[in-house]
Amino acid sequence: MNRQRRSLTLVSLMLAVLLLLLSACSGGESTQPQDQTGQQASGKKYKIATVVKLTGVAWFDRMNEGIKRFGEETGNETFMQGPQKADAALQVQIIEDLIAQKVDAITVVPFSAEALEPVLKKAREKGIVVITHEADGFENTDFNIEAFDNLDYGAFLMDSLAKSMGEQGEYMTTVGSLTTKSHMQWEEGAYKRQQEKYPNMKAVARKLETNDDQKTASEKFRETLKAFPNLKGFQGASGNDAAGAALAVEEMGLQGKVSVVGTSVPSVSKQYLESGAMSMIGFWDPADAGYVMNKLAVMVLDGKKADIKEGANLGVKGYESIKVVNDKYLFGSAWVGVGKDNMNDYNF
Amino acid sequence: MKKVMQTSEFYVAIVVLALFLVIGSQSSAFFTITNLFDLIRSGIVPGIFVMCAMLVIISGGIDVSFPAIATFSMFCSTKILHSMHYDGPVLVAFLLSGLIGLCLGLINAVFISLFRLPTLIVTLGTSSMFSGFLLTFVGSSQISDLPKPLLTFSKEQIFKFTNDSGITVGLPVAVLVSLGVIVLVALLLRYTMMGRGIYALGGDAVSAQRIGFSPIRIQFFIYGFVGLMAGVAGMIHTTMMRNSNPVDLLGTELLIIAAVVLGGTRITGGHGTVLGSLLGLLLVITIQNSLILLGIPSYWQRFVIGALILIGTGVAAYQVKRSIMKRKSIVS
Repeated sequence: MNRQRRSLTLVSLMLAVLLLLLSACSGGESTQPQDQTGQQASGKKYKIATVVKLTGVAWFDRMNEGIKRFGEETGNETFMQGPQKADAALQVQIIEDLIAQKVDAITVVPFSAEALEPVLKKAREKGIVVITHEADGFENTDFNIEAFDNLDYGAFLMDSLAKSMGEQGEYMTTVGSLTTKSHMQWEEGAYKRQQEKYPNMKAVARKLETNDDQKTASEKFRETLKAFPNLKGFQGASGNDAAGAALAVEEMGLQGKVSVVGTSVPSVSKQYLESGAMSMIGFWDPADAGYVMNKLAVMVLDGKKADIKEGANLGVKGYESIKVVNDKYLFGSAWVGVGKDNMNDYNF
Repeated sequence: MKKVMQTSEFYVAIVVLALFLVIGSQSSAFFTITNLFDLIRSGIVPGIFVMCAMLVIISGGIDVSFPAIATFSMFCSTKILHSMHYDGPVLVAFLLSGLIGLCLGLINAVFISLFRLPTLIVTLGTSSMFSGFLLTFVGSSQISDLPKPLLTFSKEQIFKFTNDSGITVGLPVAVLVSLGVIVLVALLLRYTMMGRGIYALGGDAVSAQRIGFSPIRIQFFIYGFVGLMAGVAGMIHTTMMRNSNPVDLLGTELLIIAAVVLGGTRITGGHGTVLGSLLGLLLVITIQNSLILLGIPSYWQRFVIGALILIGTGVAAYQVKRSIMKRKSIVS
């Protein structure tokens, strides 16, 4: 192949890639807002957009249910938007569009907090109310709401583990990654609770890293069991940890001998809860989080900002008595524990 | 005897043995059937990956796209079978996944052999494209309720028994598939003209062409075959995990390539054996699966895995340097 032909091939290749990129861009456009009906009656109605990390996944589909429910109950126009792939830049673009549409409020679950600060600053300068979720410490927001305080949630998981283990025996904990802040805090909350309340329990291996990978979690569990044959409990932080451990428990026929709890979603863990390989999973209901975000937006728009204070009741289970840090960072206690008996109540 | 001692497999085997003795002296749980089975279990999917990476490296290329191909094939085929409530023989699932893998592998082959682009660049690109396409257009949430034939397959174990502490020990049936693939690759490299061609191509592409091998044909064969194997490996992963997650497996390529290189396969091409690569993999898996047994805290486990990758790729970089120096000395 001579030089000229080779460069020609290269150019045509680049063109092909460019075309592909273009088509990918047009495919990655945000979903259109759904028109809301029920614009009836009482008081001023607002247009509130919720921007999520990603559309088309079970988690945010569930959140959309809460958002729609709020719209139907209050008559405000509420809708959800989000990129089709997890990309901070696409989220920025969607928010820019919403600012241009002059919505009254934007509630956001940021993909990357840093990337959204400037565009949300702009939104607030234009008088749009901004509420965030899963973005503790975010600057340019009226309020950030978390489903729970991470340490409290960890303690809740530990309570379930202790109950399942009969409050005694050796246990291990895993995190998705040593650099995932929330996982580390859940683990620390759990460990602290065990130290305070369950003296007969003992952590033999702590914070093993699973890389959010079920296979790794399964292998780590098997290995820890070899190193500590008296192991009686497992607590996992990442969404795949508990499933990995439960898989190993089932394969080794240890149901009832080793207790597995962790953060997960029912769709992933159902088969193990059913077989008894897993005792309980914890998570928060995104539908409630979506509902509360919209509720907060309306409260701010109605000028009832002062009502959002320590101990305030937002009218949703788990958010009846919120905790406030630095005036604008709110925490509920909205964790949900799901076992064999109530796992069918959740569809994500 | 002297000949055996000159091979790199010999040294890897010694390192592995030494490692076994060290770990065994620290933990009594190491030399047990349970542990042996756990090690084999951890190697079922990587075992096939190692064969993929080795074939490509012997031919003088480097492939980082096999995990992406595996994930793409397994997730697509699970999704298809799931949506049609498939209830036939499990073989179909493996064939489908392998077929999808084959097609993706051929895409690699087109870029590499027809457009003559560097293998690393092509596979880096396609790896990212496959994964991106999968997440954007096929789906991004994991499938946990596998079709029934897959679920039944995943629960089947061989050599099953219960040890004295009441734990059921066994190996997934999928281990036989991996074994089959390894034997197939060994036969291919040793007894077929295609196998000789792969070595020849990696040794020196120009000479290989002069003596009558067609690089295009060989490369199409390699990347297609690697795609096929990756697809099958992906399906095994799905059955072993009892769920299909579109972000699984990605990122495992570095450790696999490190294992291949540690096993004596030269990154510059032309040299490498199945036995050596398997020993390299054994080394990596043993270290990975013994850190808790050795009581190493989790922060240090990261360090050890990182060091392993560094040593593996370091060996590779050294080989390249030596090979370039050798060539220079021939020229001057």
